[in-house]
Amino acid sequence: MTVSQSNAAPADGRGGAPILRTEGLTVRFGGLTALDNVSLAVPPGEIRAIIGPNGAGKSTLFNCVTGVLRPTAGRIVFEGEDIAGLPPHRISRKAIARSYQITNILPGATVLENVRIAVQSRHHAWNLLRHHRSYADVLDRARAVLDAVGLRADEEELAANLSHGAQRNLEIGIALATEPRLLCLDEPTAGMSVAETRATVELVRRIARNLTILIVEHDMEVVMGLAQTITVLHYGEVLAEGAPAEIQANPRVQEVYLKT
Amino acid sequence: MSSDILIGYTGMVSFGHSVFFGIGMYGAAAALLTVRPPNLWLALLYGLVAAALVAVFVAYFSTRLRDIYFAITTLVFSQIFYVIIFTWTEVTGGENGLTFRQPPLAIPGVPSAAFTPVTLHWFVLGVVTLSYLLLRRVTQSPFGMVLQSIRENEPRTRAIGYHVERYKIVAVMLSGLVAGLAGVLYAIQNKFVAPDFVFFVVSGEVVIFNVMGGMGTLVGPVAGAAFFLLLREGLSRFWTEYYLIPVGIIFTLMVIWIPQGLLGFAKRRLNQ
Repeated sequence: MTVSQSNAAPADGRGGAPILRTEGLTVRFGGLTALDNVSLAVPPGEIRAIIGPNGAGKSTLFNCVTGVLRPTAGRIVFEGEDIAGLPPHRISRKAIARSYQITNILPGATVLENVRIAVQSRHHAWNLLRHHRSYADVLDRARAVLDAVGLRADEEELAANLSHGAQRNLEIGIALATEPRLLCLDEPTAGMSVAETRATVELVRRIARNLTILIVEHDMEVVMGLAQTITVLHYGEVLAEGAPAEIQANPRVQEVYLKT
Repeated sequence: MSSDILIGYTGMVSFGHSVFFGIGMYGAAAALLTVRPPNLWLALLYGLVAAALVAVFVAYFSTRLRDIYFAITTLVFSQIFYVIIFTWTEVTGGENGLTFRQPPLAIPGVPSAAFTPVTLHWFVLGVVTLSYLLLRRVTQSPFGMVLQSIRENEPRTRAIGYHVERYKIVAVMLSGLVAGLAGVLYAIQNKFVAPDFVFFVVSGEVVIFNVMGGMGTLVGPVAGAAFFLLLREGLSRFWTEYYLIPVGIIFTLMVIWIPQGLLGFAKRRLNQ
């Protein structure tokens, strides 16, 4: 795995300065408080899972971190810089990428083009006169990403024709192609078969060697298997935070969320 | 071809193409009326610069909006410019338009000569071919791929780090520039300009060319335009002023049966 090895955060930086920190993050939609004073700190190299019942504020948190939503109050500090309220394309350039809960790809483009266009956002994007396929650096990088997510063989296939599971992995590939240091995965295994889920967990574990991952996931097996730390959200507030075993043993978490 | 950059490649339907076309015409007219002796290249330069400036202005406001709102904004701009040109009689000649002499064909190194119908035809064909090749390259460039990505999925394009608005502005500019070029050529050929060409109905026809010919193909709209004009000429012979009724019916049937346009239809047939 060589994707995004460059300027990746040191994976052994646990205990060092957090790569991502939110301070008193609050989002209100009219009278509804979707996020209420959420403060969390993610050390570099960690896989952090955000769990909670539907409507707990997980997606809102993602949308704030990736610039889709402007928080009502609070700070989002990424690598020491407040990024709250920046537009999505600026955040992407700060090396934060995301995948989507509902598959969000370019359906009418080939698999390769989906990833190539994401790589290109960092290289030669404004050239009007050269053929897009003539940039070997962009193509090489796109193919390396496809290798990483296991889609290299389908590179000339239209993205719309891929199976659901493959589209989900392409989704991750697009995010990886922007060379992120923080990757936000929104339910990467949603709707996948057991075998596909297993493969995707492996994939996430592989790419996590070089970057920090924030993952929202409903499949508890996936969460417990992947995450080093789990943050539980409930009605927009942080209910609990800790290692998977602690969270599983926490009576309040069991009450609102974990029924097993 | 110019509008296909927006409609076919970026997914923005513009009803303002008559503005760029018209401004190109009037820009050329300005050069031909104020500079003695009339100079072909100066007419081109004036027309293109004027069209580009207006395009930047229109783009700045309209690209903040999407879909139907974008279309409406461009429509509004086309009417604004129409009214300005129509009423500002001292400068634009108002309703009567402006007439001027045709500039000679002056290619550096070759003795200049007045245009004959034949040389004019070749000149126009040459310019059109060049701009087609240029536009085709642009649609295949990294920039062109970003436009197509915007059409496919705008929020996603934003999320992977593209400043979508900036790309749209350049797309409108480019499109305006090529429409302006068409305006210049038209003005030179006909030796007069009139506000009719800035009227929004012209823009509507441009959209029809795109739909009839096939969007996202560059050549499609040219075929669409040819088809539309042939249809108009042919039908008006039998139906006189009611020719628009059968044209409308044919257009509607085409949208229903071959929504991919003439070229898209032909392509699919050939691939089978």
